Amino acid sequence: MISIKSLSRRGFLNMGAAAGAGLLLPRTGLVRPAFAQAPLAPVDVKDAMIAFGHTGPVSDEGWTWAHDQGMKAVEAAFPGIRTSFVESVPYSADATRIFRQFVADGANMVFATSNYGDFLYDVAKRAPEVAFYECDGRTHMDNLGTYYVQHWYPSYVAGIAAGAMSKSGKLGYVASFPVPSVYSGTNAFLMGARTVNPAATVQCIVINSWFDPQAATQAGTALLDNGCDVLFGIMDEAGYLQVAEARGAKAVMWNTDLRRYGPKAYITSIMVDFKPFYVEQVRRRLAGEWTPTYGLLPMGQGVDRDAWGETVPPEVAAKADAARKKMMEEGWSPFVGEIKDSKGNIKVAAGQKMTEEELYHWDWSIEGVSGLDA
Amino acid sequence: MSYRLQRLPVAKPSVAFAARIASVVLALLTAGLVLKLVGMEPLALAGRVLKSTFGSSFGLEDLALLFTPLLYCGLAVAVALRIGAWNIGAEGQFNLGAFAAAGIALFVPGPDWAQLPAMAVTGALAGAAWILVPTLARAYAGVSELITTLLLNFVALLLVYWVSTGPWLDPSGHALATTARLPVSVPEFWGIVHWGLPVAVILAVGLAAVFAFTRWGYEVRIGGSNPGAARYAGMPVRRHLIAVMLLSGAIAGLGGMMEVAGTVGRLQGGISNNYGYLGIMVAVLARAAPLGTIATAFLMATILNGGIILQTQGLTTHTVLALTGLILLYAAIGDEAAKYRIVKLAKGA
Repeated sequence: MISIKSLSRRGFLNMGAAAGAGLLLPRTGLVRPAFAQAPLAPVDVKDAMIAFGHTGPVSDEGWTWAHDQGMKAVEAAFPGIRTSFVESVPYSADATRIFRQFVADGANMVFATSNYGDFLYDVAKRAPEVAFYECDGRTHMDNLGTYYVQHWYPSYVAGIAAGAMSKSGKLGYVASFPVPSVYSGTNAFLMGARTVNPAATVQCIVINSWFDPQAATQAGTALLDNGCDVLFGIMDEAGYLQVAEARGAKAVMWNTDLRRYGPKAYITSIMVDFKPFYVEQVRRRLAGEWTPTYGLLPMGQGVDRDAWGETVPPEVAAKADAARKKMMEEGWSPFVGEIKDSKGNIKVAAGQKMTEEELYHWDWSIEGVSGLDA
Repeated sequence: MSYRLQRLPVAKPSVAFAARIASVVLALLTAGLVLKLVGMEPLALAGRVLKSTFGSSFGLEDLALLFTPLLYCGLAVAVALRIGAWNIGAEGQFNLGAFAAAGIALFVPGPDWAQLPAMAVTGALAGAAWILVPTLARAYAGVSELITTLLLNFVALLLVYWVSTGPWLDPSGHALATTARLPVSVPEFWGIVHWGLPVAVILAVGLAAVFAFTRWGYEVRIGGSNPGAARYAGMPVRRHLIAVMLLSGAIAGLGGMMEVAGTVGRLQGGISNNYGYLGIMVAVLARAAPLGTIATAFLMATILNGGIILQTQGLTTHTVLALTGLILLYAAIGDEAAKYRIVKLAKGA
């Protein structure tokens, strides 16, 4: 899923886009404060080129596939537009070469659908006339925006169902890396589960990859061997769902509807849809309106739970959906203190509501989640 | 009158060289043919690769940055091969070198002029340390270094992943799964190309001279080609084996230091980018000759860089991987074929 494997970001330059943006461009001589920022010049659709760098193969039926659908939506919305993409971009200096090649090939807009950090910024700095986006990014530049999804809300909803369907109260999680997506996903999942089973726990195994079906399968097996009976994870493919199906356990997935790989085990999936976002940003770029955005797509507009699996009891689905409805219609958030970390320290005071920014940057496990904090 | 094939124990250098060139050309032709069959335009693609790689200073700078770690790892493997040892662990030693150098840069403050040499020395020592156990196991217990060096790669990679996502994680909170940017970097001398490149070339030339002109180099070569004879002649083969394998690890470790401090700037899991494994191919193609690795590392960098350009034209990474494999396969066939010659048999013979 998302982002990151190696990631890097030049965080110290990120002290607020307004103050820092000019500092990032000394080599080009383009020092201008962000508040005075003019949009990039318009581009005729016949001359336009939009490029995508992906972390996995577009055939993964998961994260990268979903972004590729976004590219196809752009092609459909702007007939004649040129597109280019590279799959399985490594988190190494090769990523810089690939993004630079996009620019050399005439790209007007480059989407990194994962978190390539400095490897992307090095290219963006030298190509001020090209619009860049980094998915799950945390660095802002005059020509670099970020985008991601508020997946913690559907993860909480899925957690309610998982907690209700688990007999042991032990939930397992196949993690890519100990990064904020994984912290917020596991924490939200457990908070949801604890509304129905206050003794529930989440055990994580980190496999150092977003796409490694073999490692994900092994991790899923190990978690089930350890007594877990519901698996969640943040993988780009269906490996641990198949394990859960074979072992009579349950699973919550990410990205797409994967139920055919484990119809009995499938609870739901954290579904993503970037099509409207991509079409809108390309439209702004072509029209000469583009300035960077840093948004998180909310539940119902880019991320949501999938239709419930066939073995999810209707009363469980109803309970989880009640929370989802409250979030979507009343703006209710379950991420309210008091919340303790895995060492027992109070991190969010009683009554305090975590901001979207805090949820996006979440980098500690709540009490009950094990395997992520060093 | 009849002909027969005769096998020579060692190929003539001129024939071997011609076979090497022919194998690369044939591999490229085969690849072109396959591309043509799947409906691509191989000549146009090749022209695009050459233009993007050699037609701009950006392309050349990228090529140089790719060439540098390949040369270090190629040299590491080649040196070990001189004494008959297969260092499959350059990948791990490269990671360890990067790890140790990053540790110095992040946690041992000091002026640049002191820190960079300290990082280089520590990186090299860490690479040597990583091959120490396989070396001693091979020297004293006859344990195959092929397996031990290979397995340690995974340990090294996990170590780097662990520190860069755990204890050494960038404290700014904005960087994921990587350390903070190192406060020192190897100076650049041309665009984004840093001094790791000339150092590697000097190393290659120096190693070639040592193997060609010193007694130690001579004994290592003999120890590699015929250990029994070398021992009989009173050469300390085991001592040479240990020294050469540690040197091999140190070169890969230095390569890791240059990559983290020169090219990438942060320690993170993907830093080795398979250079250690590609180094095996570089060394084998160069027949373990240090000067030859300069040429083969350059060839490999061109192919890999070309591969990136091809990917932006719609080819998959797997195609590029297949192309590099194809070249190695053809080279292996060419190597063997170069040992044969056709002799005409005289009448009545």
